[in-house]
Amino acid sequence: MDAFLQGLALVFNFQTLLVIAAAAIFGVFVGAVPGLTATMAVALLVPITFYMESTPAIAAIVTTSAMAIFAGDIPGTYLNIPGTPASAAYVGESHQLARQGRARETLGTNLVCSVLGGLFGTLVLVFVSPSLAEVALKFSSFEYFWLALLGLSCSIFISIGSKTKAFLSLLVGLLLSTVGLDMMSGAPRFTFGIPDLMAGINFIPVMIGMFALNELMSFYGSSNENRNIPAVHKDKVFSSVPQHIGRYWRNLLRGSSTGTLIGALPGAGADIAAWISYAMGKSRSKNRDAYGTGHIEGIVDASSANNSGISGAWVPALVFGIPGDSITAIVIGVLYMKGMNPGPTIFMEGGGLVYALFTVFFIANLVMLPIGYIAIRSAKVFILTPRKILMPIILCFCIIGAFAINNAITDVWIMLIIGLVAFILARNDFPMAPAILGLVLGGTLENNFMSSMLKSNGDLLSFFSRPISAGLGAMVILIWFLPLFIRLYRRYRGAPQSPRTP
Amino acid sequence: MRDFLVGLAFLVAGAIVYVVAQGFPTMPSLQYGPSLFPSLIGGGCMIGGLILAIGHVRALKGIGNGMTWRMKREQLRDTLLSLLPALAIVFYILASEWLGAMLCLASIMFVLMLARRTSPLLAFGISIVAALVIDLVFSRYLLIPLPEGLLGVWG
Repeated sequence: MDAFLQGLALVFNFQTLLVIAAAAIFGVFVGAVPGLTATMAVALLVPITFYMESTPAIAAIVTTSAMAIFAGDIPGTYLNIPGTPASAAYVGESHQLARQGRARETLGTNLVCSVLGGLFGTLVLVFVSPSLAEVALKFSSFEYFWLALLGLSCSIFISIGSKTKAFLSLLVGLLLSTVGLDMMSGAPRFTFGIPDLMAGINFIPVMIGMFALNELMSFYGSSNENRNIPAVHKDKVFSSVPQHIGRYWRNLLRGSSTGTLIGALPGAGADIAAWISYAMGKSRSKNRDAYGTGHIEGIVDASSANNSGISGAWVPALVFGIPGDSITAIVIGVLYMKGMNPGPTIFMEGGGLVYALFTVFFIANLVMLPIGYIAIRSAKVFILTPRKILMPIILCFCIIGAFAINNAITDVWIMLIIGLVAFILARNDFPMAPAILGLVLGGTLENNFMSSMLKSNGDLLSFFSRPISAGLGAMVILIWFLPLFIRLYRRYRGAPQSPRTP
Repeated sequence: MRDFLVGLAFLVAGAIVYVVAQGFPTMPSLQYGPSLFPSLIGGGCMIGGLILAIGHVRALKGIGNGMTWRMKREQLRDTLLSLLPALAIVFYILASEWLGAMLCLASIMFVLMLARRTSPLLAFGISIVAALVIDLVFSRYLLIPLPEGLLGVWG
């Protein structure tokens, strides 16, 4: 009880509440401007959180990401341009409704579904993670090695598009994680004699380069900025919401649970959660033909899924230190910087901190209602903010943000090089999530492998000598061979290959 | 064609990583030294790059049959424009020490806004105000030692 009250005190103070309010407005802004993603918002926020206490720092990230994912629906509805990739699944549906004069009604439903989905994911986080943490306390380096490998393997097999490209993207991240002094021997690796690289590559310039600089370069490489907002209609924001929620409450529950589950899988973020929930909703709907013509049912599924996915991604991040998506990958870095090592012990030693974190999740989702409402009412302001003015300012924040971490120009070089590489990869349809996971989990993977080998005198079979370790190992091997099994099964059944998911 | 080239790039990069990793010191007490993971990563890059390149080898056959691979004029222009932010960062790295962070940032914003046809007066005003705000937040509030350059000399 003391820890709970301590946690509440960490959140309900002027500084943290002010940070939450500011982060909510920042999240709405970034999410509602097309081309700026929730991950980019968080990457830009990290240099600022560096100077905050741990609770407001985490509160800022949680609130920004939740708000940005909702706000991505605003330009999607009015302009048919998703503000963030997580809104892309149902952007056609929302825009069709807007053309029928139901833009505010659609956004009101989006908002309430986002809030309910986010709260559902938070409840799962609150009730599941402490029990999981008790199991995780029994884990040793063998289990953590397999967990890291499981996370990395999932990031490839869940990614959309070419698996070879996802694999190569992952290797880029893993390679970056090997830079610096080797943990066991102290030998410098890929440091090129640069002292700043001895401690390894700081992940913040990498994040900024990968998400912000990459987006900036894409913006300058495309020449159109035609954004004529149609007449804003006078329909009410919340008046039809109870009716929609009452009619589609099953979709809401299904979207929220699917989203939480997918969010918890490493490498799969809110965008994949939304796509899968939308597809599931459509396949189970009685009005399948109405999809694509402006049907609110698909929106209920997907918009609850993308927000619940954000909370779901925190479960493996907090319990095992394995990020569920790019945003939690950044968060894990922030937690380490704040001296809070994510893992089961955070639940035992964290005092009120874990309760503070849970409280922050509830507040972040609840604050979405009033601020989201204001955002819907003033949609024009966000959508018409000219990117030609915004992007140069963001670039300057990127430069100073990368420099500010260590006050070193080397970090600006790192941001530049990573940004260029990410731009080339992204232009060739390489997914970025595996690279981030590779960077964050690379050290965990290698260090746990080396520790395990020291303990077992180099016996590789020791990875299968403990029951949980053997079980996790079997799961990893199963995931690796799953595509082969599926192919063999399809050949056996003589079924034609199904088209790829969007 | 692009996938073929990217595949080749990964193949070459993987080979370099593998060769460099072989030079890392080994310790008799460790069965697996610091070269293990980089070698595996290098090997993985070579295999992945090879698979990607082989999967798109038809692009080469097309060139052999007289098909040319040329960028259209607009594509070339867009590619060059996309490099603008990268050039701006290089400018900052090279010039910030003597010009100062604030002047550098203001110039970068001004030029980038003009590149997207913002009116010069508006671009100038916003660049100056934004540079002042960034300098105030990072240099005065967060105490980051941003280079003062010429402004510091003048006082």
